[in-house]
Amino acid sequence: MTKLSWRQWGVVLALLLVVSGTVYFAVRAIRPAIYWHYHQDEPIKEWMNVEYVAHSYHVPPHVLYLALGLPHKPPDKRPLRDVAAAQNRSMDEVRAILLDAIVHSRPPYPPPPPPPHDKPDDPGGHR
Amino acid sequence: MSMADQLLAALLLYGLPVLFAIILIASIGVPLPVTLMLVAAGSFAKQGEMKVTSVIIAASSAAILGDQIGYWLARWGGRRLIDRITRRVGGVDKIQKAEKLSNRWGGAGIFFSRWLVTELGPWLNVTSGLTCYPWRHFIVWDVLGEVLWVMLYVMLGYKFSDRVQYLVEILGNLAWVILGVLIAIVLGWHVVKYFRPKPKVETVSLSTD
Repeated sequence: MTKLSWRQWGVVLALLLVVSGTVYFAVRAIRPAIYWHYHQDEPIKEWMNVEYVAHSYHVPPHVLYLALGLPHKPPDKRPLRDVAAAQNRSMDEVRAILLDAIVHSRPPYPPPPPPPHDKPDDPGGHR
Repeated sequence: MSMADQLLAALLLYGLPVLFAIILIASIGVPLPVTLMLVAAGSFAKQGEMKVTSVIIAASSAAILGDQIGYWLARWGGRRLIDRITRRVGGVDKIQKAEKLSNRWGGAGIFFSRWLVTELGPWLNVTSGLTCYPWRHFIVWDVLGEVLWVMLYVMLGYKFSDRVQYLVEILGNLAWVILGVLIAIVLGWHVVKYFRPKPKVETVSLSTD
C-alpha cells in the first residue's frame, strides 16, 4: 500500500472537490438542455423591451404595444423598466399585462388582428 | 435590477458602443458577463436591432484590444517589477523555467483560453506579457481565438434568439464543466503517479576480491 504525504492527500482531496464541482455544473448544464423544448417562454425581465418579449414569445409586437397603450411605430427600444416608470406602474403590473396579452393572442383564442395604422403623433406613447 | 440586467438594458438602448466597452473592459480582466452580452447581441441582431457583421467586428476588435492592453501592461510594468524582485530575492531560474514553459505551450494556451476556457483569458494575457512571449505569435493566436469565440457565441444567440437566458445558463455551466475537466486531468495525472508502483532500484554489490 502506497503511503501518501500530507501534500499528496491534499492533491487527492482537491481532485475529489474538482470532480464533485464539475459533476454539479454538468447536471446544471444538462437539465435545461433536456427541457429545452418545454421552456420556450423566458421569464419577462426588466431589461427586455417590448420587441424582445414579442420575439421570445412568438407573438406580433403590436399586440403587446396595444396592451401597454403604446404606439407600435416606431419600435419602442426602451427597457420595460423604463416603460413601467413612465406609466407609473410596477414591473409586476407590466409583466401581468404582457402575459395576459400573450395568453389571449395564442390558441385557443383567435389570432390577433393586424396592426392598426398609427398616426405619427399618436398620444398613447410615453417617450 | 442586477448588473447583468443593467448591461443588457444598456446594450438594447445604445447598441454597439456599449458592447465594445463591456468586452474591452472584460478582456483587460474585469469580471463582466460577456457571454451573456455576446449571445444577447446575436439575438438582437436576429431581431434587426443590430447588424450581425457589425456585432462580430465590434466585439472581436474590443476583445483583441483588451488582450493587447493586458499583455503590454504586464510586459512593460510587470516584467520590470519581477526583474527587480528576482534581483533582490532570487528565483531567476524559476522565471526562466516559466518562460520556457510559456514558449512551449503559450500558443495553445492563448488560443484555447480565448474561446474554450475564457475564464483564463485575462490571466494568460498577463503571464504571456510577464514571460515576454513573442508578440507576433501572441497576436496571431489571439486574433484566431477571439474571432472564433465571438462568432461562436454571437451565432448561437442568433440561432436561438428567443431563448437567450436559457442558452446563457447552459453555456455558463458548460464553461465551468470544461474548466473542471481540465483541472481534474492535471490533478488526476498527479494522483495516478502517487499510486503507480515505483521501479525497484537494484543494488549491485561489487566484490573487491
